Amino acid sequence: MMNTSYGRGQNRKTLGWYAGRIALHGALISLGIIFMLPFAWSISTSLKPFGDLFSPNPKFLPSHIVWDNYRTVFEKSNFERFYLNSIIVSVGRTVGQVAIASVAAFAFSNLRFRGRDVIFFILLAGLMVPDQVLIVPRFIIMREFGWFDTYQGLIVPLIFSSFGAFMLRQYFLGIPKDFQEAATIEGANPFQVFWQIYLPLARPALAAFGFLAFLSSWNEFLWGLTVTNSSDMRVIPVGLALLQGQYFTNNAVLLAAANLATIPLLIAFVFFQKHLVEGITLGGLK
Amino acid sequence: MPAALSIHGLEAEMTTVTIPTDRTRSRRGRSYTATTARWGYLMIAPLVIGFAIFFLIALGWSFVLSFTEWTLPKSPEWIGIQNYRDILHDGAFRTALRNTFAIAVPLIILRLVLALLLAVALNSKIRFRNFYRLVFFLPVLTMPVATGRIWKWLFDPGFGPINAFLRQLGLPQPDWLLYPGTATIAVIIVLLWSSVGYDLIIYLSGLQAIPRDYYDAAAVDGASGWQSFRDVTIPLLTPTIFFLSVIGIIGSLQVFDLVYVMTRVDTTNRLPTAVYYIYDKGFADRQMGYATALAWVLLVIILIFTLIQFILQRRWVHYA
Repeated sequence: MMNTSYGRGQNRKTLGWYAGRIALHGALISLGIIFMLPFAWSISTSLKPFGDLFSPNPKFLPSHIVWDNYRTVFEKSNFERFYLNSIIVSVGRTVGQVAIASVAAFAFSNLRFRGRDVIFFILLAGLMVPDQVLIVPRFIIMREFGWFDTYQGLIVPLIFSSFGAFMLRQYFLGIPKDFQEAATIEGANPFQVFWQIYLPLARPALAAFGFLAFLSSWNEFLWGLTVTNSSDMRVIPVGLALLQGQYFTNNAVLLAAANLATIPLLIAFVFFQKHLVEGITLGGLK
Repeated sequence: MPAALSIHGLEAEMTTVTIPTDRTRSRRGRSYTATTARWGYLMIAPLVIGFAIFFLIALGWSFVLSFTEWTLPKSPEWIGIQNYRDILHDGAFRTALRNTFAIAVPLIILRLVLALLLAVALNSKIRFRNFYRLVFFLPVLTMPVATGRIWKWLFDPGFGPINAFLRQLGLPQPDWLLYPGTATIAVIIVLLWSSVGYDLIIYLSGLQAIPRDYYDAAAVDGASGWQSFRDVTIPLLTPTIFFLSVIGIIGSLQVFDLVYVMTRVDTTNRLPTAVYYIYDKGFADRQMGYATALAWVLLVIILIFTLIQFILQRRWVHYA
């Protein structure tokens, strides 16, 4: 089999094969450029002086580079506070989700108890219900708790991830049972087995889920918009959506803010790429 | 490790865990040990309690609220099915639903086709494939609100690059986001840009699961590249296509953040979608009961569409 495919490959490397490859790369590169243009345009616009914005024939490059738009974002809005809030809220949700989901995932995958599979199934069924059905009662619960417009209100309702429990359970199921049996014979209780053996082994899955959790928290909009109303409690997406009015008719400033909101995460992704893609396919297909 | 055992005071039970032959058998014949079970309940407790409060109670409450009239700050008042009756005659909601479907249906088709073409191209042993994959995936990670901001400027009627480009070609330059028709096209383009990379990744993992032998067998039978694509790749990829179309429809029926930013001019939205309308009723007009009933109607619509897809899949999805 190897021989035949090797032979075929050799035969195909004719002029036609090269032409095909060049056409393919040509198509991919053109499409790739189209996909990157919005980012490029957003970055170049954010560096343009105000006058450049009103040219009926906009140039890609700024007439001269100005950094003032970035300064204006911080001076004329509460943006550093939005940033701080987003970091606090996203870290809080991520740590909460990973901790709660991983502990539960271990129990669902490795411990036997009555009702286990029924409970797991109900948790999964919950994934099908869209947030907007739950938004009003959650909003009311937050008011009853006195958590409206607080960090608890932003964080706590979103730390219970059935999706995370599902994804990590699938990963734990792939870890050979021998590890657990060896440890229990040495007298470790289930939590110790989880903490000392399974958690270290599941590091790639935890990293993937952690990144996904952070990403979705960072970008989350509907709940952040609903549960806060003071400018001091806004997270970045909400702040960015509401940045309007007298100071923000300048689109270069708006795009500077959009870039500040997005770019740190894109850079982080380039480093975490491999884990994240694995995590998405693991969560998506199983 | 006797120390660890005495800390938890579970010496007696622990012996039943450690020695498998000693397991107590339940009447059903399944073996659980009391200690393991207790640990199990303890370890799922945080998730289950949170789920109970923020999901089960919220869901039940939401159902009850949908039968009330509740305009904050007044108290809720039971009105039976009046909200649902009103929804039937709510022209604005019907418009919002029409907008939502006008976005969702073309979007899902374009996503599935474009992502499949890209996935097939990138599945071959092509150079720079990881780089290409990264390029198409970055928009998926971009905050939808930021995406909306960026594209709103790209679509700017007077000074945006898209209309400048159309002007150079001598084509009409519409005021994209001001009218439902062109706004729908604009939103579809943006959502396609921001979601095709996700489908691509899932397709690629589906393609990698197709055994090489199938292609070799097709080649031995003299199949051309197109024939083996049609007769091997597509049928074996149908479970992936099905999965993507189910979650794609569910997701695009719930479009919110992007339209919130892109198509809201001053305070009116030129292209309200279903979720936008629900949010607007609940939190701008403060009609909590009515908004909840609307959300339930949307949930039922989503479930019906999902169900239809599951019924139709028997005709076209091949499971190995």
